[in-house]
Formats: sequence, C-alpha cells, structure tokens
Amino acid sequence: MSALRWGVMVASIAAAAQPAPAQERNVRAELTARGAPPAYVEVIAERVSAARAARLPAGPMIDKALEGWAKRVSAPRVEVALDQLRSRLEAGRAAVIAAGASEPTDAVVAGAAEALARGLTPDDVRALVSRAPGSEAAAAGLMVAASLHAQGLDHAASVRAVEEAYGPEVDPAQLYELPSVVAGLAGQGMPMADLARRIMQGGGLPLPPMAGGAGQGAGRPGQVPPGPQGNQGSGRQQRRQ
Amino acid sequence: MAGGLSDGRDDAVIVQRVLRGDVEAFGVLVHRYREAFGRYAVASCGDADVAADAMQEAWIRAYDALATCEHPDRFGAWFFRILRNQCHNHRSRSRTHASLDDVTVPAPTRTDARVEWGELRGLMERALQRLPTEQREAFVLRHVDGRPYAEMAALLGEREDRLRMRVHRAREAVRRELEGHYD
Amino acid sequence: MTEAERGWSDDAHRYAEGAGAPPDGAAERAGVDRFVAAVQAYRNGLPSLGDELDVRIMAGVRARPRPVRVTGWRWLVAPRAVSVRPALAAAAAVTLIVASSVLTLLLLRGEAPAGLDGGATGSILVRFEVHAPQAERVALAGSFNAWSDSSIVFTRGGDQDQWTVTVALAPGRYQYLFVVDGSEWIPDPLAHAQIEDEFGQVNSLLVVGPRGVVRS
Repeated sequence: MSALRWGVMVASIAAAAQPAPAQERNVRAELTARGAPPAYVEVIAERVSAARAARLPAGPMIDKALEGWAKRVSAPRVEVALDQLRSRLEAGRAAVIAAGASEPTDAVVAGAAEALARGLTPDDVRALVSRAPGSEAAAAGLMVAASLHAQGLDHAASVRAVEEAYGPEVDPAQLYELPSVVAGLAGQGMPMADLARRIMQGGGLPLPPMAGGAGQGAGRPGQVPPGPQGNQGSGRQQRRQ
Repeated sequence: MAGGLSDGRDDAVIVQRVLRGDVEAFGVLVHRYREAFGRYAVASCGDADVAADAMQEAWIRAYDALATCEHPDRFGAWFFRILRNQCHNHRSRSRTHASLDDVTVPAPTRTDARVEWGELRGLMERALQRLPTEQREAFVLRHVDGRPYAEMAALLGEREDRLRMRVHRAREAVRRELEGHYD
Repeated sequence: MTEAERGWSDDAHRYAEGAGAPPDGAAERAGVDRFVAAVQAYRNGLPSLGDELDVRIMAGVRARPRPVRVTGWRWLVAPRAVSVRPALAAAAAVTLIVASSVLTLLLLRGEAPAGLDGGATGSILVRFEVHAPQAERVALAGSFNAWSDSSIVFTRGGDQDQWTVTVALAPGRYQYLFVVDGSEWIPDPLAHAQIEDEFGQVNSLLVVGPRGVVRS
C-alpha cells in the first residue's frame, strides 16, 4: 500500500474512532446495556435514526424505548408507541415553527410534543413559544403547561399561568415551581375550577421569589398520609380530575 | 360614547409604517386607543394610577409584538386584548392595598343634588368592584363606554348572546346594590 | 318575594339598555331612572387618562428595539421600562410572601440521598414514600434513571410498613413508578398527576422546582 493511501486509511480509522458528539445518544448501546435482545434493538434503532433524519429529537424516542423495555412491553406495542410519539414530535415541530422559530432546539420540540400529548392544542403551543422570553423558557413552559393540565387545570388556565410567569427576570427553572403551587393550593381545598378562574382573572399564579433560598418556609416535612392496607393497588389508578 | 374601533384601513397603514421604522407614527395609534379604552382601563383597574401603569405596559408590549399582529386592520381589538390582560395583572397586584371599605358612600339624603350625585357614583363604584371580572368588563363596555354588542363581541372574542347575559346579570347586581342602599 | 328579590322586568332591562319604552310600574321606573343616573354619575366622575400619558408612553416606546418579525430565535429580552410605584411594589411583595407560605418544602437535611449526580449544585432532595407492608423489595424507576428497577432502592422505615428513599434531582419534569418485588409497577398517589404511559398504563408525574416539591 502506498504511503499516501496508508495515511488516508489511518486518518479515516481515527475519524471513525472519534466518540459521537456529546449530545447524540446511542440507542443501541443504551438498550443493549440493559439486556435488550438484538432484534428488539434493531427495530428501535431503525425508528430512531429515521426520526433523526427528519430532524426530530431522538431523546424522547430513546427514553420511551427504554421505558418499554424496562416494563417488558411487547415489541409491537413499543413500535406503536414510538410511531405515535414520532407523529407528535412532527406536529410539535410544526407548531413551534409556525410560532416563528425556524431552527427550534430539541428541548422545545420535545416540549411541544409533550404538550400535545397531554391535551394542549397547537394554538396553545404556538402561544407558549411565541411569548417565551427565550428558548429555554419555551421548553420549560411547554413542559410545565402540559403538567398543569395533567393536574386538572383546564388548558386555557394552564397556558395563561405559564405566560404570566414568563419574564426576562425569571429563571426558566422557576417555571417548574408552578405545579407545586397548584398542588399546594389544591391541597388547601381550592377546587381546580376556582383556581382556573382566578388564574384567568388575576393573570397567573403567585410565583415565589427566588431570594431567601431554602430558609423561607423550609424544614418541616409534610405529613405523609397513611396508605391503604397492603400494596398500592395493581398499577392502575384513576386519573386525577 | 367612547371612541369606537376606527376605520381599519387607517390602522393597517400606520402599523405598516411603524414596522418600516417610523416610530413616531405609533403615536397616532397610542393617542387613538388610549382615548378609546381609557375609561375601560380605569373602571377595570378601579384606580387611575393603576390604569395608567397598565396602559403604559400594554402599549410597550403592543409595540414589541407589533410584527405578530396578524390583522393590522383590526389593531384596536388586538390591542384591547393586550390591555385587558394588563388590567387584570395590575388590578390583582394592587388589590392587596385597596379595600372595598375605602369606597365610602355617604348616607342617603334627598336635600342636595350634588350630594346625591356623589352617593350614586360611590354606590356604582362599589357595585362594580364587587362584580366578577367578566361581568364588570361587559358592564363597563356596554353602559359606561356605550359600545354596541357587536363591537363588544369583536373586542372580547365572545358571542353576543353570552355578553348580553353577562351584562344582564351585572345590571341585576348593580340594581340590588342601589336598592339595598335606598330602600 | 320582595321587589328586590324579583328583579327587573324585561321591559325595565330593555329601557336600561336604552331601547324600548319605560316600564309600567312607577317603582320600577324610578329604579331604572336611578340606575341610569348612577351610571352617568360614575362615567362623569371617572378620572381620565390624559394626553400626558401618551407622552410617557411614547418615551417608553422610543427606548425599545424596533419591532421586527421573529425569524429564528431573536428574542426580545430588554428589561421592561415601566415605572412601578413603591406602594404597588410593596403590595406585590405582600402577595408573593403570602403565597410562598403555602409552600412547605420537603427539603430534608441529614438524610443520605441516593444521589444521581452527587448532590451537584442546583439539585433538590426529593423524598419518595410508599406504604407497602407486604413487600420485600421496593425500587424507584423513572425517567431520571432510564427506568432501571434496581438502581434506586427504598429502605424500610422504623414501623416496617413505610418505605422511603431520597433522591437528588435537578429541577425538571419526571415520570416514574414504584417497582414492588421486581414485578409490580405501581403509581405514586402523592405525585402531581398520573398520566398515560402510552403502553396502556399510567406513570406518575412530578415536577421539581428549584426550591423543592409540594405534593397535594
């Protein structure tokens, strides 16, 4: 072999040995590490790379595949779930782009897909994205609005609560306080409908200030209610209304 | 009568001018709709200073978001929604230091027309502040601003029949407040 | 039923709206007239927002960046130049402080966490509890550990019926389940919500904020 071709070969081997970019997860490695059989791994990997080719975030699909495997869900069932997830990622991406973001981050697209999965509308997604002060806030806002809706707040109030919490001075992580605020108020006996009405009338939920840190109101653990006798049911539970 | 939604074509022209860089043209919209919606803002917020803050914030946001106004010929209704939002925010923020008891209503008297005028105003103010937000808004737009229901529907994005019902209920609540004082 | 309880007739309402003839009853008519007078008094007495507000508004507008169509991710993050009167700011602070007393945080000190990131700054200690007297082994599986049913294991409490584990989590949204004896995957009744897992079952949902978690 000529010196030149040898050099080229060494270079290409070195290139192949480069680790994948930090963000890009290896679905094959992750599933195999958890004992998934090769046939299962291949089916999943094919879907993940198709999603990547369509510029959709692979993370949510890999996570869902890992979840399916951990729960020993049948491969066809996992495939169906991944296909549904893929549709929602596409719809989420479309909604985010319609809001004016031509190169959305994976986190925002994933957030949009999750919001749609939990019953928010494409209009809700567009509103949350276009009013966010930054892409980090948009991603967090979508996830939080989806969570508020899952807690029982109607979708208009869920969106409004997040919109009102957006602000250039608000650290996006603070948005994750909102579901706790709702849980606390609900725990004090406020019906969700009333809470929703107050949000719509009063422009949002009270977001506790970051100043003061853990000293403010911290320390005392909450009362843990005694559970029912025996184990907690069979894994099926009514969705909280 | 309060200023109505102006000829949309005019607003659309101004919006385009502003987006092309003519900031001062925005002042035309500010003047037009600050006047048109000023009473609504004060009645909604319950306080002129609070309303002024809400109005200012609304205009800043409208300017920032001007490029997202999809129908510049309906600028008035678009701006109204922003203003309404700000009035809600500012009103709830100021509520902790304003109290209904601060609205004093003098005892009924039949002697002095000016005194009665003041009584009536105080009663109306108190009655309005006690209404649920949606009823208060609808009542203000209909009775204080004198807007037709079709226009209210465009501003609030609600059906006319719903708005009529809301105004009806608000009127009944105000009536009870007035009669409770005098009877 | 007194007249006050009965309410106005339709005629009276129409008249109050400015349409139609006055109602027949004298008392009702007087009531409507008083209503109309009250509205007028209120309207006339409303302080107006004067032209000088326009000046203030335009001064604020001139200081803003030019509004442009958002393409890509050009977010407008300039601080809002709105004058907040001190009384208003104080009132806002009062509202927030009252609200934050609602938050009793489950921040535990001194309890060794099954740390996922070694207690890095920004992570929150979250305690999970489950009542499972018959169980021999309980684990926590979720989106924070790729749903492994062996990496985060509960310990039995003093009364033998209660199992607990404390985990360090970064603020965010997590789905999870408890795994009892390696085979039974059960939701957490103290979660913020239960959501479909798209395999026909439910996952528990918890959203962790920078100051902790409040359960219902």
